[in-house]
Amino acid sequence: MSSEAPPTSPLATAVGRWFEQLGDRGVFVTDEALVVRHWNHWLAVQTGRTAAQMVGQPLFDLLPTFVERGIDSYYRDALGGAVRILSERFHRNLVPITRNFHGAGMTEMAQTARIEPLVDGEKIVGTITVIEDVTERVIAERELRNQIAASEQARQLAEDSSRLKDEFLATLSHEIRTPLNAVIGWTRILRTQPSIRSRARALEIIERNALSQLRLIEDLLDMARIISGKLRLKIDVVSMSEIAQAAVDVNTPAAAAKEITIDTAFEDDLPALNGDAERLQQVIWNLLSNAVKFTEAGGRIWLEVKRDGPNLRVSVTDTGQGIAPDFLPFVFDRFRQADASASRSHGGLGLGLALVRQIVELHGGAVGVESAGLKKGTSVWITLPALKISGQPHVPPFVPAEPVTLKGVQILIVDDENDGRELMVAMLQDYGATVRAVESADAALGILKGDAFTPDVLVSDVGMPGTDGFALVREIRTLPSERVRRLPAIAVTAYANPEDRVRALVAGYQSHIPKPVDANVLAMAIARLVAGSQPPADRTA
Amino acid sequence: MMELTALQQDALVELLNIGFGRAAASLSQLTGHRVLLDVPQVTLHAVDEVGEALERLVHGHVASVHQIFTGPVAGDALLILDESGAAILKELLTNEPALPLSIDASAREVITEVGNILLNACLGTFGNLLKVQVSFSVPHLSIENVGAILESLMVAHQGIRYALVVHAGFRLRDTQVTGYLMIVLSVASLDRLIHAVEDWEQAQR
Repeated sequence: MSSEAPPTSPLATAVGRWFEQLGDRGVFVTDEALVVRHWNHWLAVQTGRTAAQMVGQPLFDLLPTFVERGIDSYYRDALGGAVRILSERFHRNLVPITRNFHGAGMTEMAQTARIEPLVDGEKIVGTITVIEDVTERVIAERELRNQIAASEQARQLAEDSSRLKDEFLATLSHEIRTPLNAVIGWTRILRTQPSIRSRARALEIIERNALSQLRLIEDLLDMARIISGKLRLKIDVVSMSEIAQAAVDVNTPAAAAKEITIDTAFEDDLPALNGDAERLQQVIWNLLSNAVKFTEAGGRIWLEVKRDGPNLRVSVTDTGQGIAPDFLPFVFDRFRQADASASRSHGGLGLGLALVRQIVELHGGAVGVESAGLKKGTSVWITLPALKISGQPHVPPFVPAEPVTLKGVQILIVDDENDGRELMVAMLQDYGATVRAVESADAALGILKGDAFTPDVLVSDVGMPGTDGFALVREIRTLPSERVRRLPAIAVTAYANPEDRVRALVAGYQSHIPKPVDANVLAMAIARLVAGSQPPADRTA
Repeated sequence: MMELTALQQDALVELLNIGFGRAAASLSQLTGHRVLLDVPQVTLHAVDEVGEALERLVHGHVASVHQIFTGPVAGDALLILDESGAAILKELLTNEPALPLSIDASAREVITEVGNILLNACLGTFGNLLKVQVSFSVPHLSIENVGAILESLMVAHQGIRYALVVHAGFRLRDTQVTGYLMIVLSVASLDRLIHAVEDWEQAQR
């Protein structure tokens, strides 16, 4: 204690002035009677109450909220020697100040403060309060916290979706294996016991399983196209009731096998709509086959098509196992199935309803599902915008199944894969064609450069080791012989996307047929090409 | 080497419980949650040995709220929490997730205020008991290891010192967080405190 320094020393005065003029925080001082003695510039600016108004007045008269909030006790403690800090989190502020913060509207200033005794030797002569504006800090911390929460949420989502994909892959391999088991099993039986009586039955099972696998792969490809935005609709004026009826016809055998009845109710004079008939039939087919799958034997399914304001509404209602409320929001998500366990009782990939939603949304429509809960049945509906003027629904042109013949046509087949090659040879020989088959592009070029076999058409696989199908056709188009250069060519490939088709055509093929090959489609394509090119007589020229 | 008798220990626990009760009431009021504070144990150590004792209780970096008190009884008072304890305490008190203390100024401030309340209550109780005026410094929070904390003690380099270590169990919302109160005193101050505690204990009978 320096008793020689009087309170009015130049240094004390200077320090006092420094606090008075301090611009970045509030400082006020009271005496031991808690009468305000100093009120600095910052406080005057922020509160709009000047030092002249404050100094000389009892603190709690000026700031009565201090008593209401119990802050008066901190001042009494300070007069007893205690220091008190007030965190923003617990107190929000000490002196309430409302101002327009960064022009973002009126907000309350976030503050931290401390209340300290002022000691002269052993005697407490007053209190000093220091207030700091921490609004910026509080906002920054809140933003940081939000960002952390958002990134945590994103991580969770990514984990969920990766888990869903894992589950999906497990399901996928199971679903692909199941029909293969039947195909391989029955094929072995046929081979080892050529005289079995149930031969026709075995072939039927093999075909059914192969088709079901094809359906699965088509669903997958459709989903891939939709995800990459490459699904194109072939829009026409179509009739929903015709489409729905066709889907019912397809599903009736499966329903009948489970003794499930499908009832239909189509409103009269339904307006037509703009849509892709094939895709919309896929939608209704999916809804119905789902209903059949999840409805127990002896159940019922209703298919209804009616007007709904400017839309057409199609609903499929069943008496099946229903959907638990917590799964309802995810019904239309891809890869989602209510039961993803290995022991689940229903097959499928969980793609059906996801495809339904995507196709309906591409048509500008909406989907929805209602279920009162497990064992209480399900109702799935779609709405599609109807045409205001009733147009003439498009009736797909009826193509008579003309018997195709390839008699006298010479075909060169290139495929590195033995089974695929043999299958095509057998198919085309069936139509009367003369067929040569080789396993590589180089072998094909060898034949084309010679005169021993002069094909009318080339049918080539695309993905082959060494020279692939693209390179083969490009080379053919540069060969010296005009006959060979102009040889019609068909690409047959498991790459079934529209871009693959374009790529094949650009490389020099006239036609592109996806695998698995339908014998009739291939034969028709060959017949068309042969008819469109030079007459076979030119061959010898 | 001074040691506390069982009687002195009991009396200290009882006195500290009064202070902790006041602190718990303040914290409950501030947070809107029921906060309880227990003093299960008080031990006395020579300052040279207190580091070892503390390192058995807390590990790695610790958050400490440090206040110096001056007057007829003078020394250092600290609330020590391990870093995870500090984070949990802050989450429980404020109901929002804590960021790492190093970047969460609000969390540091909350812990500082909690330490401030607790240390004020205890030293206030001692002050009343001794009928002396004790003045405090502004509380200071630091995050460092136990060794560095001991280095920062005001009385670390003044003769023989003793440290009272008080286990402080915070109980709130079904969770318990243990902190440690360390009050470092000179021999003279400690002697005065213990005599006052004994007198108080006599007066209670």
